[in-house]
Amino acid sequence: MNVTVLAKFVPNPTGTPSLGPDNLLIRDAGDGALDPGDEYGLELALQLVEAGGGEVTIVSMGPAEALAGVQRGLAMGAHKGLLVTDPTLRGADALVTARVLAAAVARTEYDLVIAGAESTDGYTGTMPATLAELLGIASVTAVRKLEPDGDGFRAERQTESGYDVLTSPKPTLITVTAGATEPRYPSLKGIMAAKSKPVDTVSAADLGVTDLASTQTVAAVTDAPAKAGGEIVTGDDAVTRIADLLTEAKVI
Amino acid sequence: MALLRAARPAARTAEVPARARRELVHVLGQRKLFQKALPGVMHACIFWGFLVLFPTIIEAMLAIVDDGRTLPVIGQAPWFLFLVDLFATLVAVGIGIAFYIRKVQRPDRFRGSHMEEADKILLAILGIVTTLLLWNATKIALGQTLHPSAEPVANALSNLFGTGQPTETLERVFVWSHVLIVLGFLAYLPKSKHLHIITAAPNVYFAKNGPSGHLEKLEIDLEGPEEDIRFGVATAKDLSKKQLLDLFSCTECGRCQEVCPAWNTGKPLSPKLLIMDIRDAVAGIDPTAGEVELQPLVPNAVTDEVVWDCVTCGACMRECPVDIEHVDTIVDLRRNLVMAESRFPTEAGTMLRGVEGPNENPWGQPATARTDWIGDIPVRVLAPGDPAPEYLFWVGCAGAFDDRAKKTTQSVARLLNAAGVDWAILGSRERCTGDPARRMGHEYLFQMLAEQNAATFAEAGITKVVATCAHCFNTLANEYPDYGATLEVLHHTELLSHLLEERKLLTTPGANGTVTYHDACYLGRHNGRFDPPRDVLGSTGLTATEMERARERSFCCGAGGARMWMEESGDARINDTRFAEAAGTGADTLAVACPYCFVMLDDAAKAAGSDMRVADVATLLEEATLGEPTAHP
Amino acid sequence: MGATWVYAEVTPDGAHPSALELLTKARTLGGEVAAVALGPGATAAAPELGAHGATIVYASDDQVFADQPGRTAAHTLLWLIGQHTPSLILLPGTYEGRDVAGCLQALTGSTLMANATDVESASRARTEIFGGTKIIDVDLAGPEPRLILVRPKSFPPEPGRGTAEIVAVDAVTPSGPTATVVERHAEAASGPKLEEANVVVAGGRGLGGPEPFAMLDDLAAAIGGAAVGASRAAVDAGWVPYAYQVGQTGKTVKPEVYIAAGISGALQHVVGMKGAKRIIAINKDADAPILKIADLGVVGDLFEIVPALTEEVRRRASS
Repeated sequence: MNVTVLAKFVPNPTGTPSLGPDNLLIRDAGDGALDPGDEYGLELALQLVEAGGGEVTIVSMGPAEALAGVQRGLAMGAHKGLLVTDPTLRGADALVTARVLAAAVARTEYDLVIAGAESTDGYTGTMPATLAELLGIASVTAVRKLEPDGDGFRAERQTESGYDVLTSPKPTLITVTAGATEPRYPSLKGIMAAKSKPVDTVSAADLGVTDLASTQTVAAVTDAPAKAGGEIVTGDDAVTRIADLLTEAKVI
Repeated sequence: MALLRAARPAARTAEVPARARRELVHVLGQRKLFQKALPGVMHACIFWGFLVLFPTIIEAMLAIVDDGRTLPVIGQAPWFLFLVDLFATLVAVGIGIAFYIRKVQRPDRFRGSHMEEADKILLAILGIVTTLLLWNATKIALGQTLHPSAEPVANALSNLFGTGQPTETLERVFVWSHVLIVLGFLAYLPKSKHLHIITAAPNVYFAKNGPSGHLEKLEIDLEGPEEDIRFGVATAKDLSKKQLLDLFSCTECGRCQEVCPAWNTGKPLSPKLLIMDIRDAVAGIDPTAGEVELQPLVPNAVTDEVVWDCVTCGACMRECPVDIEHVDTIVDLRRNLVMAESRFPTEAGTMLRGVEGPNENPWGQPATARTDWIGDIPVRVLAPGDPAPEYLFWVGCAGAFDDRAKKTTQSVARLLNAAGVDWAILGSRERCTGDPARRMGHEYLFQMLAEQNAATFAEAGITKVVATCAHCFNTLANEYPDYGATLEVLHHTELLSHLLEERKLLTTPGANGTVTYHDACYLGRHNGRFDPPRDVLGSTGLTATEMERARERSFCCGAGGARMWMEESGDARINDTRFAEAAGTGADTLAVACPYCFVMLDDAAKAAGSDMRVADVATLLEEATLGEPTAHP
Repeated sequence: MGATWVYAEVTPDGAHPSALELLTKARTLGGEVAAVALGPGATAAAPELGAHGATIVYASDDQVFADQPGRTAAHTLLWLIGQHTPSLILLPGTYEGRDVAGCLQALTGSTLMANATDVESASRARTEIFGGTKIIDVDLAGPEPRLILVRPKSFPPEPGRGTAEIVAVDAVTPSGPTATVVERHAEAASGPKLEEANVVVAGGRGLGGPEPFAMLDDLAAAIGGAAVGASRAAVDAGWVPYAYQVGQTGKTVKPEVYIAAGISGALQHVVGMKGAKRIIAINKDADAPILKIADLGVVGDLFEIVPALTEEVRRRASS
């Protein structure tokens, strides 16, 4: 079984993010890493291929530095990589990204495509569904467990009230939830082996994707009302204050 | 033997004078054996006896061939006869003590050791000296010895024998039995742990000269050919000559097992059993089998759990009479598990990712937060290009990020200011020293951090460093020189002790209360710094009381060997056990000198619901200082 | 401006609260408001949708929407869009809503904005980034209908007095491979997994034993979509299993809200939860480190506060 895994290169998750003068996220080159959310999917892919044979291909779209993310995936055990890097893709929104990735994924051989449920920097969580439709394949999101099942797959999907079990024919795209697997730590041998694994680098033009216009622009950025950070209360209104905060956070 | 020849060398030939000195003290002087009084006496008797009596074996062989022949020059000398008689008796006494210890006292350290093998060896030795004494007795009875009174015991025994034919026969019987037992013993030697009589002496010679906390460098060059890269020890062929010698020097005495914190809290790791198991795996290799696939040592000889249980406290090495280096072998096994196989307790992965990741600290905290502890304390933070201070205060990751350790950092900062020391910190340019990665076996990650930090030190012109963390202290002082950073490194208690001596810090020793000090393994046992913290505490006026397991015998807090970042198993927790010991002294305060000890023991105090205060030596000193020091006289 | 449609999630138990929230908002935008309800329970939910502002409810009770989620709804919506050309479609930021929206975007090629906290028109919406510290107003362009996924609970639902015309629609089943639901499991008792929960209620040494964790279970159940966690101290003491442990050697969680009860906040615990968007700490020790990182710190007795909070949450939920 061949699996294509989508991997996003994101800025340092613990650093302080900021917007540039063009109101786009500054993706600080030196500080980026493979999105931790994508590692769960990669681990699942590796486990499936280790059990049933086949290859894992990593597909990533990002600046040139994103190669480091692909290499980490290769170090963990993936077999080859495909990196789409192109200055014209800076600031690409979810739809453009989906179109580019669709063209890229189409170049790989896959029975299964895996993406993380939402990226740490964009967290839209919709791109994978768009991608699946563009590829014309089935999709199951929020998967917490997946097994091969005959000619297809059997997936456990997280729902608000519990979980559903779905069957899906090949090829399928899934997104995996955090905690679905425990991602392996790449060994030094893996890191060394990664250097000789093939990585193709392509541009948007190579993929034949030309409509790159973004349909969303940031009109204004304002500071949110300062959260009374570090507010300490004692006394009787504590419960009300907590409940107010929960309401404000929209969890109740 | 083939394995020994093929094994990689360990760089242990330099610094001959130190080696020779250690040989004299440890082997000839039996120093480490005397760490236990009665067993020390027992073994010294037998060992010195063996040295002194060695010529008598030659003499016996000569006498077999040429009846009546003795050694030239000394053979009839009264002093020689006396020494032989005395030491033969002492050996017999030693054997008696040995049996008393093994059969009557039955200490737990022998659990897992081959007791029957030991009994056979002891009996054989007894046989050797008994036949020697009896032979000498018959020689005296036959009038062959010129100065019988020089051999009081043999002389006394000679009264059992007449002068006639039966005694002549008996004399032949005893000399033959003596030689035969010796030869038989020699044949048995390589198959038993008694091989240590050959391996122990060189093993001591080739032991590490420097502090035990100094792990050997393993150079990893990813750009080089892959076959040249060593990932640690996977199979027996990866062991170094010294490591092999270690295996065959072990006498299964169990002194290491007795002090191991893991073993003492119900975990499967025993340093003795580890060495024995690897030894058995190596001994079991069939040399004629040729290019056979050797079994990986982990999990076939020792389990993964055993390898990970180790806190690298070095108590085992401190006790070992033949200078076996258990910790180094364990770390080498870990190196293979981590770097080649990526097989380690999953939860430690969080620490590795944190150290490896953009912020380069075990907790994954943002590097910019390294200066959060400063508050309104006047602190100079070195920017690139700034003039170097006299002392660089290496705050460390714990000292910067952990709430409890931050208190120590703040105390030290205020004390240094009060003493007028010229000091500065690197702030967010500090990176983890790499100690946790190295103790876990991720040598490559350690190497990268060491090279990076060494470059920072060089660029900033740093020559002297003071650290509050015992692990940072050990790594910077002992291991960083291997990466080009030669620094004079002090632990904060050493510097504070100097400042007190120089009266740059003054105290009002009116503090009431009792304190007991927990020796941090990486400060004390591994680096011999026992007194500076005690001197500092002495100046506070608190009354000190010592735990039974103090100084070199200190019992680890449980955080070393990267175990701070792993979950613990077993009947009891190491930190809880140590805390109970501290609380048992009845002292009000438990003083520590390392942030790991601080966290572990403070957690234990809370878990025990105890009132005992856990505090760093620096904080206790600060509480006793006069504020701004008055002008020096 | 053309019509604003609301994608209403429905079940046989009625309309999902998000549908009512979105309809309330849609009413304020001007233009016609319609709801699209696809799946069993759609027709039955129509009156309630109408009461909240939908003048038309495009409804289908076809089981296929429940059995083949996401794609079928998106293709059906596509057909409806072809018929009626709305300007804007609001969808809830739920698992289902995101799937439908994502798939629909591929079909319409129109813009899709996610995590919106407010909507001004089909051309302007608002969201937050950087952990809620910055508010971003976004201009939307491109072909209509524009698609906006709205964070649940962004608008309080307010019924009006309208009624809706129900227009029955047929399901449009797409060709090509599709996933099918074969089993459904409700996990009311255990709730969501710790790492995925929206809200985490965690207990530490301050709880004193295993029994008080039942108090935290109650609070989690009252809040809904919440999981219970613990600090290492509670796990080491054997009060809860290791699966509950949040921290350096346990799980890392990034919920909307993290409530820490009786947890001192040692670094090794904080590492596992500092990504939470809001941190509430309850501790009787005013010096506990966790109070320094909490957005709201309460110095008090958790044995009084937690049950009282549970009651207050229930009270607000039912009103």
